[in-house]
Amino acid sequence: MNHEIDTSASLANSERRSLLKAAAAVAGTALAGVPSIGFPQIMKRDFQGITLRHIGVSYAVQREIGEQASKDLGFKIEMQNLDTSASITRFVTQPNSVDIADMEGWQVKVAMARGLLQGIDSKKIKEFDGILPIFTSGVYEGRKISRQGISPYEVMYTDGPEAKKIVEGQQQWLTFLPQVFNADSLGYRPDKVGREVTEWKDLIDPKFSGRAAILDIPNIGIMDAAQALESRGDLIYGNKGNMTRKEIDITINALIELKKKGHFRASWSTFEQSVELMASGEVFIQSMWSPAVTAVLEKGIPCIYAPVAIKSNGKEGYRGWCNGMSLMKHLSGKKLEAAYEYLNWYYSGWQGAYVARHGYYSPVPRTAKSQMTSAEFDYWYLGKPAADIIKSDHGQPIAAVGSVRDGGSLAQRFSNIACWNTVMDENQYMVQRWNEFKAA
Amino acid sequence: MSAIASTSVPSRPWTFYVLALFFGAYVLFLYGPMLCMYVLSFQGEQGALSFPMRGASLHWFHQLWEGRTADIAGAVARSIPLALIVMVITVVFSVAAGLGFRRRVRGSNAIFHAVIVSLTAPGYILGIGIGLMFSLFGWQTSWYTSALGSHLSWTLPFGVLITFAVFGRFDTAFEEAARDLGASSAQTLRLVVLPILAPGIIAIALFGFTLSYDEFARTLQTTGPNNTVPIEIWSMTQNVTSPTIYALGTVTTAISFFFIGAAILAVVLIQRRRRAPRAS
Amino acid sequence: MLARYKPYLQLAPLTLALLLFVAAPLCFVVTVSFFRTDGFDTIPAFTFDNYAAILSSGLTVSLYLNMIRYALMTWAASLVLGFFVAYFLVFHVRNRTVAIGLFLLCTVPFWTSNVIRMISWMPVLAEQGVINGALLKLGLIDAPLRILLFSDFSVVLAYVHLFTIFMIVPIFNSMSRIDRNLFEAARDAGAGRFKTLLLVVLPLTQSGIVMGSIFVVTLVMGDFYVVKVMSGGGSASVVSAMYDNVSTLLFAPAAASAVILLLILTVLIALLTRFVDVRHELVQRG
Repeated sequence: MNHEIDTSASLANSERRSLLKAAAAVAGTALAGVPSIGFPQIMKRDFQGITLRHIGVSYAVQREIGEQASKDLGFKIEMQNLDTSASITRFVTQPNSVDIADMEGWQVKVAMARGLLQGIDSKKIKEFDGILPIFTSGVYEGRKISRQGISPYEVMYTDGPEAKKIVEGQQQWLTFLPQVFNADSLGYRPDKVGREVTEWKDLIDPKFSGRAAILDIPNIGIMDAAQALESRGDLIYGNKGNMTRKEIDITINALIELKKKGHFRASWSTFEQSVELMASGEVFIQSMWSPAVTAVLEKGIPCIYAPVAIKSNGKEGYRGWCNGMSLMKHLSGKKLEAAYEYLNWYYSGWQGAYVARHGYYSPVPRTAKSQMTSAEFDYWYLGKPAADIIKSDHGQPIAAVGSVRDGGSLAQRFSNIACWNTVMDENQYMVQRWNEFKAA
Repeated sequence: MSAIASTSVPSRPWTFYVLALFFGAYVLFLYGPMLCMYVLSFQGEQGALSFPMRGASLHWFHQLWEGRTADIAGAVARSIPLALIVMVITVVFSVAAGLGFRRRVRGSNAIFHAVIVSLTAPGYILGIGIGLMFSLFGWQTSWYTSALGSHLSWTLPFGVLITFAVFGRFDTAFEEAARDLGASSAQTLRLVVLPILAPGIIAIALFGFTLSYDEFARTLQTTGPNNTVPIEIWSMTQNVTSPTIYALGTVTTAISFFFIGAAILAVVLIQRRRRAPRAS
Repeated sequence: MLARYKPYLQLAPLTLALLLFVAAPLCFVVTVSFFRTDGFDTIPAFTFDNYAAILSSGLTVSLYLNMIRYALMTWAASLVLGFFVAYFLVFHVRNRTVAIGLFLLCTVPFWTSNVIRMISWMPVLAEQGVINGALLKLGLIDAPLRILLFSDFSVVLAYVHLFTIFMIVPIFNSMSRIDRNLFEAARDAGAGRFKTLLLVVLPLTQSGIVMGSIFVVTLVMGDFYVVKVMSGGGSASVVSAMYDNVSTLLFAPAAASAVILLLILTVLIALLTRFVDVRHELVQRG
């Protein structure tokens, strides 16, 4: 039986699926084993024996996603978790040992400077139009998103398949494909704090002396600190994501002063630490990641992710970040085709629903929606009151009926981004001063 | 040897009790956090990594077994063979080197200092260097090549230094005696030298295994496409906070005790059989 | 004929392993340490800038002082612990099987990964942890002691916990070689228990103590993740600063820092081994 396999995007997704389903039925192929999305069996045979190595941090490169992808796609996805530092080092020093590099926006800037990547053809990405405009055009809800720090939009486009440099403005070729993102703020214990927190300056409030924590990743921790200082009114930064030496000095000196006063209980270096600090009550307020809040809630302990929307005076705002997948330069031939299938699979919905339940967002909500219950989608993406008990990915109840997601809807949170995760021009100086803060 | 009639066990000096207490305190110190870990690994589904204890179940052992969030089983299946191979190679290379160092050969000074340097080089940076080297030469990094090599760079200095200490007290008179009795050098090695060195060899083996199994810094960049246990656990802590890692600790300890218990039982049984009078 | 080449053959495996996995990578590291950094690019060059920056920085001094402080405290604690634990096992335990059993008891924890054991200190030292709970119940304190965790105390505690075994084993080895007759001789000469310890046991355990010290100090000074986790990020170490540099691809400064650390530690150990010449003991019979 001759099957014309047209992998170009010219056939609409559903057309192709029904065509192949019909063809398969005629050929007598059992579709009993077709997994959730109905990926054609024919394609599975094509890519057999291929292994794609996807490497990144464990909150973005999640084993369960890889296993589901392997099942759906018919070839092996080998995932490896390393911490942020080790993974970027690996990409740079052993580029041929990685196929799909999972990186944050600012790491893409670094990788591009090193010529590690090849361009991703946006025409081959089926759901490209479904990607939120935050990424594709840098605009959201009519407002231009913050350019403080390194926003995904400004590093996303490149000049061609060779990916020689980053180019401003929408292009055909991409440097990375956003796969998961979120807006970070502060986490706190409402039972210990006793009131609502909506401002970053509460992190450095002397009332919480000895009960606060900040995270120990220099280029991110310093931005949280900057948000807090700006909120307190100490100074106004030109670009929190790219500070001048003077601004760095002011920030670090303030941190050192706070440390000497014993304000910070710890700077956590692992997600697990941040959860423990909050769950055990050692800390009342801290820099936190959304799934950490979920993890604390799973243990039956109250924890709120502070909604820090931008106030009328221009202060506050969330710190945004985004992880995405890049194709390493050496990919070619069948492996490259398989890589595109993998990228497309990410946007087909399963992954979107999975990360949503952890409190993250997928860049393509419309397909994630198809894999979630309407109650879930309304709760996680639209910020509506929960119509059902909201369960975590492990089945633990984390939100009661009627509760609203901290910070509201995706729209509310993302139109309130103050800055993005970054790496600064004065990075070397900043790292040195950060270590002085640690050694103080 | 003083010949005290062994009808009564001589009484213990007071220092025995003090030191026994001291030893007990050390064991408690070693096992203290481990005991907390064992207890906490039996928590229920809402379990966290510290007290208070939330529920009681085998939930986390199931999680460990299923390997949903991390491939612990796979990592163990790499770390243990790796540690065993490193152990064997370290013992062989170190003892051989110890034998070689006994004669003042050209270059032994340089090699000695190279051993010291390999001890002091920061593992994290060395690991990056090895990974870079492999990449430049087009070699594949993996746990049985680059990771193995990087572990050796860490365990060999330990092994060699212990060998020095062990050989330092070694009386060559034994070797000469064996030779006088007609033993070949291979026999001398096997039947005289190695048995005397046995405690030292066990020490090297112990260090070799432990250092490799726990090695983290230089393995980060040399482990290849799959993680070893320390890296997998460290990466887990970036994303999960679950008593699963405690469950792993409990399982590891249980298995270790099982093996040690079995080994001691075997030794005791063998000794008893040796001592038992042969039935005529 | 072959006998002449035998030592070379015996040294060969070690030499090859060291050449491939230490010397070669170090060549890379040393080369990179002279490179320039431009943004995220590491540009081949020959400049002493990296070294100059590190050697003239106050941060370097405080990082080294910090590490030396930790190393000294850990060394002292592990020495005392290791010495007396080994002493007990060698001289006071009569039954050899029991001695081996007790020794193995001490090693079982090491078969559980270091990372897990480090994390498992949290429930013990935390505010709601075991120690605070016990002290509160006994009425010895009014409020939980917060300095138990995320402080110098917890860092050194973790170091001692993880590394004492490296002190125990060499000392154990040294002690088990001591001829028991010497005790008798000392007793006959009128020496008391303490004098025997000082004048007989201690000198004969020298090489074991030096060895253990080398191991412990090297382990502490080369560490980056124990100090990161146990101090709650409140303390930095020389290697953790390298780690932070590498995170943003500042390879050249990190390499220079590595070379400096390597040189300092090598000189330190070379001095130690001269003080008790380990090799001399070995080769004098050559």
